[in-house]
Amino acid sequence: MHIPDGFLSPSVTLPAWGVAAPLWYWAVRRNFGTSSTESLPVVGALTAIAFVVQSIMIPVPGGTSAHLTGVAILAFLYNPGVAFVCESLVLLLQALFFGAGGFTVLGVNALAMGLLGPGAAWLVHRALRPLWPRAAAFAGAYVGIQVATLGVSLVLGLQNRLDSDYMPVPFSVMLPAMMLPSLTVVGVVEGLYTLATLSLLRKARLLDAP
Amino acid sequence: MLREPRRSQAIIAAWAVSVFALSALTGLAALAMASAAALLLFRRGALREMRRVLLAVVPLSLGLSLASWTWLWLLGTPPPVAPFVALPARTSLIAFVTFSVLGRVDLLRAAAPFPTSARLLVLCLAQIHALRLLATESALGLRSRLPRRPGTRDVLQGSGAVTVALLTLSARNSRDIGDAMRSRGFH
Repeated sequence: MHIPDGFLSPSVTLPAWGVAAPLWYWAVRRNFGTSSTESLPVVGALTAIAFVVQSIMIPVPGGTSAHLTGVAILAFLYNPGVAFVCESLVLLLQALFFGAGGFTVLGVNALAMGLLGPGAAWLVHRALRPLWPRAAAFAGAYVGIQVATLGVSLVLGLQNRLDSDYMPVPFSVMLPAMMLPSLTVVGVVEGLYTLATLSLLRKARLLDAP
Repeated sequence: MLREPRRSQAIIAAWAVSVFALSALTGLAALAMASAAALLLFRRGALREMRRVLLAVVPLSLGLSLASWTWLWLLGTPPPVAPFVALPARTSLIAFVTFSVLGRVDLLRAAAPFPTSARLLVLCLAQIHALRLLATESALGLRSRLPRRPGTRDVLQGSGAVTVALLTLSARNSRDIGDAMRSRGFH
């Protein structure tokens, strides 16, 4: 659900950068200091996989695309801060080398897909895990992607409110166009992907996956 | 004349300011003028970067714009075309400037004064590279084991084992890269 460069004006992207920048600083310092040597291999591998699964995008009406994110798992295994940094890194690499997403919209995309989505996924997972561990992973990933999609559509709707010549699709049209594929297909696939990856991590004995 | 890494950092800073400025353009005339200026400024290698934009950026941004326009049209209100043309035009222009600038700077050298960022960047690039290599090798291996061309079912059946191998290999790979970078002073 990347928003591409040029779909949001600086009146939206600059404040988003203002919010995201201190959070990046805090999350990197907290999670990727010198003590992170042991966790870096798995984080790097999951980030690479997230990069690949996010590269397959299907355009949907309203100014964005539908795709998996693959970062909820990072929030489950570590914390939402790690997911935020890794997703931001994925978005930065995609923006710089592949023209997907973009630099100006990096703050918005990172906050929606890297913080709000994985944050919600982490909360759901934590709440349900003691009762149903597998269902918790699926539900967390499913909810996470819905929250991220909702965040992206709210920002695009705000852009339409601010300047309808810049973003001509109104929120009332954009919301169902974006949420329907997310609720029916992408969320389910993301949940299954998360379950499968957790099971593979256990099989590979790389860490004590939940 | 600035020396590295200052030169790359200055170019990156100028690029960051310019892409935000370009993202503020709304009129088609302004976008056309900015595109002409960008082409003039980055004429060396412009064809290569334009091809890259055409392959990587235009299909998705044009698809998004077209899908949005069609959606509104189907709902009964034929929307004006200009804003829907401006959306992919702006995206393509920003991508062209980005690709052109990145071809003229040394990104890793510019990031060197920020060791944690550089370490994360190198690690992720190396992992992505390793992933591509593994995917190619796995596809070739699958093809060599089957008497026919592997179908979607064969690929899905083999994907579990490939992912386990990927995670194991990439863990080893990351450890090696991390050790190599630490030994070069990246902490």
